[in-house]
Amino acid sequence: MRTDFSADQLADPGIAAADGILKTCVHYGFCTAVCPTYVLTRDENEAPRGRIDLIKAMLEKGGRPDPRTVGHIDSCLSCNSCMTTCAVDVDYLHLSDIARAHIEENYRRPLGDRLLRGLVARTIPDPARFTRMSRLARLAWPIRALLPRRLRNLVDLAPASLPPAPDLTGVHPAEGPRRGRVALLQGCVQQALAPEINVATVRLLTRHGFEVTVPEGAGCCGAFTLHMGKTGMATSAAARVVDALTAELEAGSLDAVAVNASGCGTVVKDYERVLERDPSRRGKAAALAAIARDVTELLAPEDLRLPETAVPLVVAYHDACSLQHAQKIRKRPRALLRAVGFEVKDIPEAHFCCGSAGAYNLLQPDMAEALGRRKAAHIESTGAAATAAGNLGCLAQIARFTALPRLHTAVLLDWATGGPLPAALRDTDLPAPVPRASPPGSPEPPAPPRPSGSGGPGIW
Amino acid sequence: MSMDGFLRAAQSELGAEHVNTADETLARYGENTMPGGDRRPAAVLYPGSTGEVAAAVRLANEHKVPLFPTSTGNNMGLGTRSAPAEGMAVLDLGRRMNRILEIDERLGFAAVEPGVSFQMLADELKRRGGQWMNSTTSGPPQGGMIGNALDKGAGYGPYFDHFGFSCGMEVVLGTGATIRTGDGSIAGESLVNWHVSKYSFGPILDGLFAQSNYGIVTRLGIWLLPRPPAIRSFHFTFPDDDDLEAIVELCRPLKMSNFVPTLFRVSNDLYLIGSEVPSPAYAASGGRESIADEARKALQAEHGLGSWTVSGAFYGPSMEAMEPQIQRAVDHFGSAGKATYIPHEEALAKPALECAIASFSGEPTHTELGLLKWRPGGGNAWFTPGTPMDGRIANEFQKLGRGIYEANGLDYQVMNVAGPRFARGLHVISFNREDPDECARADTAYRALAEAFFARGVAVGRAPIDWYDFHMDKLMPSFRDACGAIKRALDPNGVIAPGRYGIY
Repeated sequence: MRTDFSADQLADPGIAAADGILKTCVHYGFCTAVCPTYVLTRDENEAPRGRIDLIKAMLEKGGRPDPRTVGHIDSCLSCNSCMTTCAVDVDYLHLSDIARAHIEENYRRPLGDRLLRGLVARTIPDPARFTRMSRLARLAWPIRALLPRRLRNLVDLAPASLPPAPDLTGVHPAEGPRRGRVALLQGCVQQALAPEINVATVRLLTRHGFEVTVPEGAGCCGAFTLHMGKTGMATSAAARVVDALTAELEAGSLDAVAVNASGCGTVVKDYERVLERDPSRRGKAAALAAIARDVTELLAPEDLRLPETAVPLVVAYHDACSLQHAQKIRKRPRALLRAVGFEVKDIPEAHFCCGSAGAYNLLQPDMAEALGRRKAAHIESTGAAATAAGNLGCLAQIARFTALPRLHTAVLLDWATGGPLPAALRDTDLPAPVPRASPPGSPEPPAPPRPSGSGGPGIW
Repeated sequence: MSMDGFLRAAQSELGAEHVNTADETLARYGENTMPGGDRRPAAVLYPGSTGEVAAAVRLANEHKVPLFPTSTGNNMGLGTRSAPAEGMAVLDLGRRMNRILEIDERLGFAAVEPGVSFQMLADELKRRGGQWMNSTTSGPPQGGMIGNALDKGAGYGPYFDHFGFSCGMEVVLGTGATIRTGDGSIAGESLVNWHVSKYSFGPILDGLFAQSNYGIVTRLGIWLLPRPPAIRSFHFTFPDDDDLEAIVELCRPLKMSNFVPTLFRVSNDLYLIGSEVPSPAYAASGGRESIADEARKALQAEHGLGSWTVSGAFYGPSMEAMEPQIQRAVDHFGSAGKATYIPHEEALAKPALECAIASFSGEPTHTELGLLKWRPGGGNAWFTPGTPMDGRIANEFQKLGRGIYEANGLDYQVMNVAGPRFARGLHVISFNREDPDECARADTAYRALAEAFFARGVAVGRAPIDWYDFHMDKLMPSFRDACGAIKRALDPNGVIAPGRYGIY
């Protein structure tokens, strides 16, 4: 695609980066068929191809964006399904970040919008504030019907109660022979909403030979605000994470940075770019990004310490968009879950977002709900007894639309390798444990049940 | 013609929300990858049922408006979802008619609407326990199964022939009448043989609706293959361009006896490597020259592939059980003295070969779409002649094609999909559509290729929209007259896709 930026515009690094990305798009249009908002609306401007044109026009014109353009960019999930299918590798992820930052700097939203977005951006990344606001939201329950749609949505999304969150900061020694030393990022809202994920992750990693350090003061990674276009807040958060890990990083005593929220992992792996305008931290950010790993990347099926029996629970594995489309991790979580003895089901339309998408289900309730219901129906259609995913946002979103137990992949792996029964499964009628048949670490899925002879559709 | 009147009537019949005339929509529905430019339609309609399709056809007859039906619009390299001419009203069947109507897990068939993609059916079969698989292309996973079958698209497994392995249609003719083919033509509701028997009383009409414009297929039966417990691929790479002759001779007997159940994918270096990386030589010549042999050899070395690579697969009860067949294939291809064997496990780590494995396994994949970025600018046209499985002839065609590509400064990228007697040659013409000179060379090359192959008795299996008339003009006059006569009988006002495949 041809662009028309002036030399002055191209002097801005953000515009120069956008220019390079825009030129790669040739309008093949594969992205449209896999874009959730396009599939649901059939509006070309609700598809990546249309949004790319709108972004191009917005940036070329400069100044205040057209409200219609802002609406179409806001309604993008940033699920990056388009990037998986794009034949020419258009870097839509960074293009949409640039567009959102431009909107944030150049567009004055209506007052209600500004207040809502400000509230969300300041609340979710701060566990203490999130806890206080959740209590406040519960007080608003009796009057929720009187609230405007989007505010009512926030109240609806607030948890009924929050579990106690243990303080994990400090060093957790490895069990058995030490395989390495990793820093675990606890995330932000995850600490308040689902602290069992971090607790289970620490158990899982230490059980498998990792010394885990949980740094103090790391806090939010910046992903949440980055995708809202709030670049300043995002880079400040990223800088705090880099600073919190710098000493161990520079001492060379860190083998990996473990992330168990895939939305965060995507951004941490991109820290060099996030902090590209911070010369004092850019190099450290790059080093940190280079060793950032999703928790499932740290474990191989053959390395798992398996009890003698397995619980053959049928689990529908949900690919979080940030894991499958941004980090391109699809096989490893499935291989690990299968290796510990679960029967793993793929979910139809796996490339589709569940509607969580960072702040999306807080700010775009209608589309988020449509996608959440669609995903939940697909999950239930598998006949699985539980759902697993590697991202808290997805688990929380899916929970709104199905009663099936939802568990983080790390929580399931922890249980299957010796950890306690997860709370989410306490009321589930679990299958009886069976002796482990296949050798530990078998990455291949078990063959689907197929009676020999005439029972199946074919004979081989 | 009264497009305005038609659209008003269509809004009333289908609902205003299912008639789209937004500028951005019309622009996108006219986009394609051809050198001949985009073709903007006048409107896009989203019918939701066979009845609504029939209503649209009836209105088109009343208002003398041309319709252009598409399913999912993924006909890449052949026209995407663009009509052959501007100003038609697109019937987008993919938006609302995307239901899997029936799956029979005893008899092994599915009945689908036009919007059902390879991915959707594969997902559904997996959800049901994975005992069946559908044949998939190596093209976009969101490609439509009906559109592909009707355009004579193909996969790579035993059920590769997507039209041949379809059975039983529901069709809205250009007259507005709706027919069912085969045993579906029986009046009544109990149509137990509709999707299991092609041969019933009377003429076999199904073939009329492949690569034509006589009707709009709204339902199709698709046969499914029992999924084997294990699929084990094998790959052999050969160093020299002229090794194609030996390769074809080696493949033929393995397919003639069906020792190998899949087709063979016989891909050249730039076809495979192009799915992974863009041309490293393009910038140096600004796209004016073909990649040099030295650069090609360097790419081969970098990617561990030779000039030609053959891929196939066995189906069996377990990976181990297929070891004797694998050994037989290794011995057979090794007999030429030039083949390097690439085992299944090694191939899984090569994206270019992983695509072949996925295709043999009924797994939709995006991998091969990377071919579309070999050159910048988004131009892509597919030339699809074929060769008898005679090594000498196949190699002669290879030299002929390669020479024409090089004469026009383009890069020879081809995959021969080989059966026992015939191989379809998927020739990719990748060019910069934003460069008028490259567009002109792509057009020249396509015409030169078609002329040269035609002179040797070879037509194409599928045609891009730019050259429908060009190809039809090569056929014998009496055949052309017959096509026209059928058109007038089934679509007297010529409202369905006039000009598609050169039929008016």
